[in-house]
Amino acid sequence: MNKSVIALVLTLGLGSLASVHAQQAPAAAPAINDAQIAHIAYTAGAIDVTAAKQALSKSHNKAVRQFAEEMARDHAAVNDQALALAKKLGVTPADNGTSQSLAKGAAAEQTKLAALSGAAYDKAYAENEVAFHKAVLAALDGTLIPSTQNAELKSLLETGSKLFHEHEMHAEHLAASLK
Amino acid sequence: MFRSTILAVGLLALGCSLAPAFAATPATAPAATQAKAVHVIVLDKMVFGPMPTGVRAGDIIEWVNHDIFEHSATARDGSFDIDLKPGATVRTTAKAGSFPFFCKFHPGMTGTLVAK
Repeated sequence: MNKSVIALVLTLGLGSLASVHAQQAPAAAPAINDAQIAHIAYTAGAIDVTAAKQALSKSHNKAVRQFAEEMARDHAAVNDQALALAKKLGVTPADNGTSQSLAKGAAAEQTKLAALSGAAYDKAYAENEVAFHKAVLAALDGTLIPSTQNAELKSLLETGSKLFHEHEMHAEHLAASLK
Repeated sequence: MFRSTILAVGLLALGCSLAPAFAATPATAPAATQAKAVHVIVLDKMVFGPMPTGVRAGDIIEWVNHDIFEHSATARDGSFDIDLKPGATVRTTAKAGSFPFFCKFHPGMTGTLVAK
């Protein structure tokens, strides 16, 4: 249910990019450029920081709050680094269809979560975090990292992939503990 | 008066004879502290770097967090729990034994510190 929204948006958004990429000759330029990739990665991080802030304003569960604090802290750190790198490289992150789909899907999810409270909210937040991190991880490893040209951006995204993997495991433990 | 003069001369003589011995002390002091080796463990990009080898109980372990994230080095047996904010350097003293540890924020990050 809720998890399918963001997962679907990501799959569709990046799936269409992947298919564009697949239609091109192997030597051709990637379907997405580094400025767009940086924007997508930044948007994904910002979405999770916003979700974490909502969790911190709504949840009274200690484990949920600790998880949310970790999400806010880690994703803010990656995004600060991404902005600093973009500035250093003279790249302006470029808005694109995938970023817009991500933002739209996340806004809808946040509205849904806002209507919940107590244990129902905690459970829905944790389950959505599992789905969100899984979907972004698939996009990072399957499309974004292989398409990235700049070595420093690629390295940052690879660190981001490890981070998303850790967060996904943490979210799964959290979701399991709330059942 | 006479007695105090003798005492003063005596003290001066003692001072002179002892001075070379004191002066020699700093030269030998580093030899005593050399046994306390410092071993550095660097954290970066969501990974604990290579574990030091040849660590002896009493040596210094220097944990250096070069990552952009906050981490911890938390022993599974509870013997240490070190908070490592981005850019932090924390020193601890090694105890004899084998200590598997992990980052409590990112449990996939693991290592084992061995000291004899």
